[in-house]
Amino acid sequence: MSFITGYDWEKNLVKKVLRKVIPVIAWLLIWQLVAFMIHNKILLAGPLETLNALISLSQTSDFWESIAVSSTRILLGFFIGSVLGIAAAYLAYTNEVARDFLKPFVVTLKSVPVASFVILLLIWFGNRNISVIICAMVVFPILYLSTLEGFLCTDVKMLEMAQVFRMPRLRTVRYIFLPQLKPFFQSAFKLAIGMSFKSGIAAEVIGQPLHTMGNGLYLAKVYLETGELFAWTIVIVLISFICEKILALAIGRAK
Amino acid sequence: MTIEVKDIKKSYDGRTVLDNFNLNIEEEHSYIITGPSGCGKTTLLRLILGLEKPDEGTVKLLGDYKYPYINSGTVFQEDRLCEDADAVTNVTMVSRKVFKETVTQELLQLLSEDAIHKPVKELSGGQRRRVAIVRACAIPSDILIMDEPFTGLDDESREKCIEYIRHKQGSGALVLTTHDTRGLEFGRVIQMV
Repeated sequence: MSFITGYDWEKNLVKKVLRKVIPVIAWLLIWQLVAFMIHNKILLAGPLETLNALISLSQTSDFWESIAVSSTRILLGFFIGSVLGIAAAYLAYTNEVARDFLKPFVVTLKSVPVASFVILLLIWFGNRNISVIICAMVVFPILYLSTLEGFLCTDVKMLEMAQVFRMPRLRTVRYIFLPQLKPFFQSAFKLAIGMSFKSGIAAEVIGQPLHTMGNGLYLAKVYLETGELFAWTIVIVLISFICEKILALAIGRAK
Repeated sequence: MTIEVKDIKKSYDGRTVLDNFNLNIEEEHSYIITGPSGCGKTTLLRLILGLEKPDEGTVKLLGDYKYPYINSGTVFQEDRLCEDADAVTNVTMVSRKVFKETVTQELLQLLSEDAIHKPVKELSGGQRRRVAIVRACAIPSDILIMDEPFTGLDDESREKCIEYIRHKQGSGALVLTTHDTRGLEFGRVIQMV
């Protein structure tokens, strides 16, 4: 029989943290070394220049406004795409005609490059809400396909049980469908939130709506401010990471 | 209420399972259906429940019945329980007409206090079977339909379950399939071949 003492537990925790931190530090050092060797801030800004750029950006109100505007639009698009994707998946699950009807639409959304949609949407609607629409279009097929797969994998025997007992619809959803869908939601939402930020920012870079992170990236490119470009990238990755973790936590807690 | 099973024929992949089968299921009567594996016992119950359609013949509700379907309490061949939910939740979830307190009392007739609050995935096969039996009996129904309800039960539990089912049957009908008719002499035994 073995016991884990408090000391062992602390040791394990330190080991776990070190295993995550050391590779990051190593890569930062490599980055700094390469930047030092290239010695050209336009070609490659080092981590210190990036940090400096981040600090100076964070002292402007435009920086925070851009984060707020872009995040709100991207999350709104993510929400709309998710709701529509799940609703369409339920419709496709209950109705085979609807499933066949939706198939070409979903395949098209999945395979057409985001840039093509962005240009088309710019012509149709202008650049203001481009990231909302693009995010919804990117998230929709991800949620639709995963949710539909989850529905189709639902235990038929449990559904028969619900049918025989005339189980109330909401309880069928809660006790039979949701436990079955949970792993599908977990992977779909994780993928969708990452894709939302990638496609949303790409749409903003092309469409250039004012006071957005995409516009910040574009201006950094125009003025050859590689440090700022990296700083914006880090901010985007960080926000996407935080949203992904919050979402994973929320789904993990949902029974 | 009478359920008329008339001239039923059912085949799977060219193999006839039921051929011109007839049965009238009446209130207050018990029907113990027995026979070797594959003789069509489960198929017959699935046809009565409306989960399958016969190739030929009909299953009809005769008389003036309040529902367009058979209002049954059912035990399936498998337990068909929600694994992460406890026994009480597994019973209450199927109907708005049953309440936690009543269901707890019902479950305590066949299971220990400790067992009814655990997720059913942690229960033994026999305990799970008893949860399925209580689920069928606790909800208000006009007929109890049970497919091999005593699988995995020892003799003592089996006797207790038979007593419980008899008590809960009340004035309704009971259709039960089994390989072992011990203790079920109160019903009309139908031997299938």
